Amino acid sequence: MNAKKMSVTLLAVILSVAIVFAGCSNSQQSGGSTDASGKTTITFWHAMTDVTAEAVEAVIADFEAKHPDINIEPTYIANQGEGQNEKLLAAIAGGNPPDVAYFDRFEVGAWAAQGSLEELTEFAAADGINQDMYYPFAWNESSYQGKLYAVPTTTDSRLVYYNIDHFTEAGLDPNNPPSTIAELEAAAEQLTKKDGKRFERIGFIPWYGQGWLYGWGWAFGGDFYDPETNQATANDPKNVEALQWIADFAQKYNVEDIAAFTDSQGTGAMDPFLSGQLSMKVSGPWEVSAIEKFMPDLNYGVFPMPTPTGTDHTTWSGGWSVVIPKGAKNKEAAWEFLKYFGSANGQKIFSDISKDFSVIDSVNEELGFKEDPILKQFVDILPVSNNRPVMTQGSLYWNELAGAVENATRGNGTPQEILDQVTQKVNNELAKE
Amino acid sequence: MQPTESTPTLKKNKEKSNYYGLLFASPWILGLMLFYAFPLLSSVYFSFTSYSILQPGNFVGLQNYKDLMNDDLFWKSIYNTVYFAVFFVPLSIIFGIALAMVLNIKVKGMAVYRTVFFLPTLVPHIALAVLWMWLLNPGFGLVNGMLHSIGIEGPAWLGSETWSKPSLVFMSLWGIGQAIVIYLAGLADIPQDYYDASDVDGANWFQKIRTITLPLLTPVIFFNLVMGVIGAFQQFTLPYALTKGQGSPANSMTFYVMYLYDNGFKFFKMGYASAMAWILFVIIMVLTAIIFWSSKRWVHYQGK
Repeated sequence: MNAKKMSVTLLAVILSVAIVFAGCSNSQQSGGSTDASGKTTITFWHAMTDVTAEAVEAVIADFEAKHPDINIEPTYIANQGEGQNEKLLAAIAGGNPPDVAYFDRFEVGAWAAQGSLEELTEFAAADGINQDMYYPFAWNESSYQGKLYAVPTTTDSRLVYYNIDHFTEAGLDPNNPPSTIAELEAAAEQLTKKDGKRFERIGFIPWYGQGWLYGWGWAFGGDFYDPETNQATANDPKNVEALQWIADFAQKYNVEDIAAFTDSQGTGAMDPFLSGQLSMKVSGPWEVSAIEKFMPDLNYGVFPMPTPTGTDHTTWSGGWSVVIPKGAKNKEAAWEFLKYFGSANGQKIFSDISKDFSVIDSVNEELGFKEDPILKQFVDILPVSNNRPVMTQGSLYWNELAGAVENATRGNGTPQEILDQVTQKVNNELAKE
Repeated sequence: MQPTESTPTLKKNKEKSNYYGLLFASPWILGLMLFYAFPLLSSVYFSFTSYSILQPGNFVGLQNYKDLMNDDLFWKSIYNTVYFAVFFVPLSIIFGIALAMVLNIKVKGMAVYRTVFFLPTLVPHIALAVLWMWLLNPGFGLVNGMLHSIGIEGPAWLGSETWSKPSLVFMSLWGIGQAIVIYLAGLADIPQDYYDASDVDGANWFQKIRTITLPLLTPVIFFNLVMGVIGAFQQFTLPYALTKGQGSPANSMTFYVMYLYDNGFKFFKMGYASAMAWILFVIIMVLTAIIFWSSKRWVHYQGK
């Protein structure tokens, strides 16, 4: 091969490399463009599968029908939620985010503080979107320091499911389920059947399913965050009491035996509550569709998470929202979609198919969620529901509290010590900002 | 052609081919600089800042390193990682050599046996994690089932603070096919003459292993030791998949790189995570240096 030929080959190599790189950046920018016909395409990242995916497709179809000038390009991006949003994180940092992202509401505060979400306050004010439309906790979670960063879409709440047949068999009154912590403990004891180290049936496991410390802390009357001082209050005496109760429970039934039991359980049809190995379980409204699907004959009911006094029952709610990531190309068109998704219209289409609760009370009523004897109780408690603190360290706090329950149940320190440490660690991080 | 004339041409040709060599390697060199050297060196700087990926953050000096020294979970993750390395690396060497020796015996169908032992290595880590979650299931897993049949009540394995790390060691030992292949190559490299000579001297099998096989296998052991230590300190996929990123129970499965990842991508603390990465680099560097330094005393190369 002569020198000239080689140079030509080399040039070709370099050119093709350059084209590949150019191609990469091009394809990433393809979202958010206006084509010749004046139609705007906006990209939308979400992590929905199964029925929720069908639901969101229906919402998009209806939106596109009403806005012929906007075309939505949905892309499934796995693993969004509970702080696992690294793809969106990288896209925003790289300056090539989607125009809209489906977003776990409890992360809004942290991401807004990082300047990674577009502020929506002005859009909302111009279009008359305000907090009166939504449940208070949903609006709280969508805002950070008085500014709006997300439009809420769905929500949930947590109650205790109980197996009515087990109650009857154990001599408990199924029409009068536990209301105080003491009653809950007594019922759990009566329902549990233990053979050596093995549980044949277990009455209740406070931390199983949706039994996060947030729920128990609020049930005991504690609180986790003081927005005035921007301080975490994990070691609130009431929270310590709640964790102490959980730790005592773990000790009473031997936590390693419970772990052997819970580790043997699956999800779906193998869920221990569905298979009759667990008599009571904290869970959300989604459990209803799972029971309908896998165990339609299950005779069950729900009751609010018990409190020490048997009054002031409460719960907490999470849920999703839609956001415009910082640096999105088509903010106006994206806002149109956000507004529509958060409107009564969009909510009705979405919640009707997905069976997720809407953040709009009237939609839940219209869809008949308030008539279903089980779902009714989940909806009814929403007005007094709590939301996880809107703060910059939401993910860290969540992890720390989950770790606190693990450590307390395993006897690694007293609840007071553990929660003091959590408080200190989270406050140290909060102080750095 | 006169030699006096050809010398400059040769020199010119050599220069030219150097130039072409560099040109042809340039896409690769460029890529290495851009996507490897640059991020690597940037992370040194980031480790002194409060960089959060989304925001450049401020220069905080040694604050990240100081905070790490007071971070309980950081120490816990080091403990977990060292625990794993201390048990896994020697065990992998012992099992690796033992299996390689067995697989080196000349019997019919050896190719099949070798394949059988190598196969687990091909299983992706996530699949391996799911598979072992079933095997070690405390209620109806095969492992506890077998223990039960001989009258032992098995522990909760992955659900137990005491047994979670040993479980991980078992799982990892299942996938040492790669090391076995290297040991096999090392075994094949030992000349038959030594064994023949020892037969003449009347050595038994144990003496042969102790005085011929093991000493001549030391270069390969050395290699696997270094790679094993590095691999053990970077343990991530298996425990992350097993615990869904939680490191449960009670952080007994929170390994160093898992905590690093959480800090960088979950808690917006990329600066802190960068500091962790450099501490890990120093730890691995020091350990590797110690192994290299000690190798003069115990590694025997053939032909020396």
